[in-house]
Amino acid sequence: MAKHLVIQLARFGDLVQTKRLILSLLNGEGADGGGTHGAGPGHAVVPAPEVHPSGVPPSEVHLPEVHLAVDASLAELARLVYPGVTVHGVRAHGGIPQADVLAHNAHAFATLAAERFDTVYNLNNSGLNMALAALFPPDAVRGYRSLNGQPLRDRWMRMAFRWVTHRRLSPVNLVDFWAALAPRPIAPARVNPIALRGGRGIGVVLAGRMSRRSLPPDALAACLRAVFEGLGGPRVTFFGTRAERPLLRKVLDHLPASVAGNYDDLVGRTGWADLADALVGLDTLLTPDTGTMHLAAHLGVPVQGFFLSSAWCHETGPYGPGHRVWQATLDCLPCLEVRPCPIGVQCLDAFRSREFLSFLSGRPGDRNPPGMLGMVSTLDDVGSTWLTVFGDDPSAPRRVELRALVGEYLGLFTGEELADHDLARLLYHEADWMLPGPEGAAFAPFDPFADEPLRSA
Amino acid sequence: MTQPFDVSQPSASAVPSASAVPDGSAAPGSIMPRLRVLVVLPMYGGSLPIGRYCVDALRDLGHVVEAFEAPSFLGAFTALKDLKVTADRLEFLENSFLQVVSQAVLAKVETFGPDLVLCLAQAPLNHQALKRLRRDNVATAMWFVEDHKVFTYWRAFAPFYDVFAVIQRAPLLDELAAMGVRDALYLPMAALPSFHKALELSPVDQRRYGADVAFLGAGYPNRRVAFRQLVHLDFKIWGTEWDGEPLLARHVQQGGARVSAEDSVKIYNASRINLNLHSSIQSRTLVTGGDFVNPRTFELASIGAFQLVDRRSLMDELFAEDELAIFDSMDGLTAAIAHYLAHPEERQAMAARAQARVLAEHTYQHRMRTLLEFIAQRRPGWPAPRAADAGLPADLPEDMRRDLAALLDRLGLPADAAFADVVTALRQHSGQLTPLETSLLFLDEWRRQYA
Repeated sequence: MAKHLVIQLARFGDLVQTKRLILSLLNGEGADGGGTHGAGPGHAVVPAPEVHPSGVPPSEVHLPEVHLAVDASLAELARLVYPGVTVHGVRAHGGIPQADVLAHNAHAFATLAAERFDTVYNLNNSGLNMALAALFPPDAVRGYRSLNGQPLRDRWMRMAFRWVTHRRLSPVNLVDFWAALAPRPIAPARVNPIALRGGRGIGVVLAGRMSRRSLPPDALAACLRAVFEGLGGPRVTFFGTRAERPLLRKVLDHLPASVAGNYDDLVGRTGWADLADALVGLDTLLTPDTGTMHLAAHLGVPVQGFFLSSAWCHETGPYGPGHRVWQATLDCLPCLEVRPCPIGVQCLDAFRSREFLSFLSGRPGDRNPPGMLGMVSTLDDVGSTWLTVFGDDPSAPRRVELRALVGEYLGLFTGEELADHDLARLLYHEADWMLPGPEGAAFAPFDPFADEPLRSA
Repeated sequence: MTQPFDVSQPSASAVPSASAVPDGSAAPGSIMPRLRVLVVLPMYGGSLPIGRYCVDALRDLGHVVEAFEAPSFLGAFTALKDLKVTADRLEFLENSFLQVVSQAVLAKVETFGPDLVLCLAQAPLNHQALKRLRRDNVATAMWFVEDHKVFTYWRAFAPFYDVFAVIQRAPLLDELAAMGVRDALYLPMAALPSFHKALELSPVDQRRYGADVAFLGAGYPNRRVAFRQLVHLDFKIWGTEWDGEPLLARHVQQGGARVSAEDSVKIYNASRINLNLHSSIQSRTLVTGGDFVNPRTFELASIGAFQLVDRRSLMDELFAEDELAIFDSMDGLTAAIAHYLAHPEERQAMAARAQARVLAEHTYQHRMRTLLEFIAQRRPGWPAPRAADAGLPADLPEDMRRDLAALLDRLGLPADAAFADVVTALRQHSGQLTPLETSLLFLDEWRRQYA
């Protein structure tokens, strides 16, 4: 029985977005069992079958064992989202005493080392991940590895660094990006349920971790009011952290009594399980790009996502069918959150427009909302993607072609009719083929003539 | 006064049509002028031995060939990977390293002055270098001996080559045309008969390498699953990547070590039935029915070794029905093994027919000739005329003429080789030179100064 470890040391949203990878590993790798064969993108990713390929009844198949290393603060959430996975808490973040960090992690890492994983999926480009990678044989690690102290990024990770220099063209959702590290990703449709209204009203997430990509109180209140009217005045539930309680007050100040007097306040009042329980059955969740948004998609709750500033729905939009995203489209988007905005966050204006609010309330006018794309989620062979319902997206044709190139690289498409070799040069760099792969020996099995006997010079 | 460098017949020209020949000579047995070809080998991988076969074949055709030994640079790359710097910095250094290697190829082009730069898949020639060669009107060709569906990065560099040769037909040739690659051709794999040949094995080698059934190659998923059905046979598996297969473990030879090309010829010679199952990363479809035909098919045939090979869509145009024993399924394979083990005379007859076909049509010499003729057809005026070769001083004494003839023979050059080609061949030699060799190099330098 193969044993895999996924190292996900980022935040709440990233943990939930690891779902397709983890489900794919849990699903197994087919009749070949475990091992490192067939690993990684670029090597004809084959969608996993609905039944085990051996024909053996599922109860008798020895499916792989999957472990997950996360920040200790997310361990409970990880167990909630990924039942059947062994979760290891690592002290990765937070201002706890250094002695505790050292002692806790020494124990946690000893446990991980003793497991002798066949494959380790190390997902984050951080010094923490590189350091942890040193615990494992380099050949067993995918993603970010350390070889004799030299940090290395697998080819697939390198490719992502290339396309994020042109973020408007970002061809792959983060969920699918990580899943492509698995030898046999499950079908996109098997990741999240189709999002459907559940009759329990509107949920509102006050803010994300990065403030600039959240709507300010007046804009959020206006959006909420429009949706509230459009849905006939259902119950409203507010979500957020304890630190966001003052924000709730400000939002309520902008709402009429019909809304302000008909809400549940769960801001700073939920643990992970309570949060999930409160999300289940909502008709819709209004949210910026947040971890709660991804948890809602995981639970099949329809999301209406507000994407502006550094948030780009083609990278981190809610996964699966049934979601909507309102994506701001100023030329400078998506921007870098860490850089001050020189134009006063003008991308917010789109969310305050009369046209947009009419649209949200279910009474669209003659004009489309300016500065914005209205998008609905859909699935293709690569994974989750977006259909534009209104607005003009000049980047779309090249993004679609780049997605097709990526699909070809993953072995999902034949790539016929792709003629933009500038895009091919964006995706592929010469080191990819002129130098032995960063995957080391794992590259060799996919060279059709790798088994040609060596002939001396 | 000088004369052609023909030490056997100083007054006669061996050139069929001197006006069409850049340096007054032609490759033997060919209307193609004697060319100078720089073969850029990849640093690693399966296309490396194929590049070396191309070098041998081009030399056999009488062309003057230099190989750019990219594998020699691999040590520097390994050193980079041992620097322990950030991943960003390492990737920057890798790109800089590739720039240097590409510059080294350009320097070689400048010194050697080739009519053609022939690159094998993964050759380290970046697009700036290819642009430079195009600007300088140096013809470039890539033989992309890979599956384009797996090695999808061909899209990023194909337009930078003048000629792009591939081992698959549709839809690849159409796709190349769509992206503006006008001069693409189908050039299937081949064998090198001087290397892939029948051997008289010693009894020790026969025992060591022989078996009823043998397979040489890497343990791809389809092969692993397929071969589990053959464990009752006298079955030897040679090659790498077979670990983790308990059923096959006792059949895997040499602990799954990589097999040298020399040993592979012995294995092919020694085995009654050589299995040739094209690789696939899928394990549910054991016989994938892909298009291109692998090198092993041609090599086994060239040796005169019997093979059972899975059907490929491009096989029919390369071999006749009675030249290869082809299987379409695992049932077909197991039945064929039983049949052919019981009928050695059928094995021998079929192997002989396959061998005749390869020798007649499918050697690397054939492929190189096809490639060169394609280039000549598509590039009017290629190869560009060279300055007339200065030749050797006339009236050389007979004993020196004999010594020169022996030298040319040793260098693998024809008797009418151009003086410049002799000098090039001498410069490729490492170690101490003989007085005659030294005097030829000395004469070349003397001419640069005074002639």
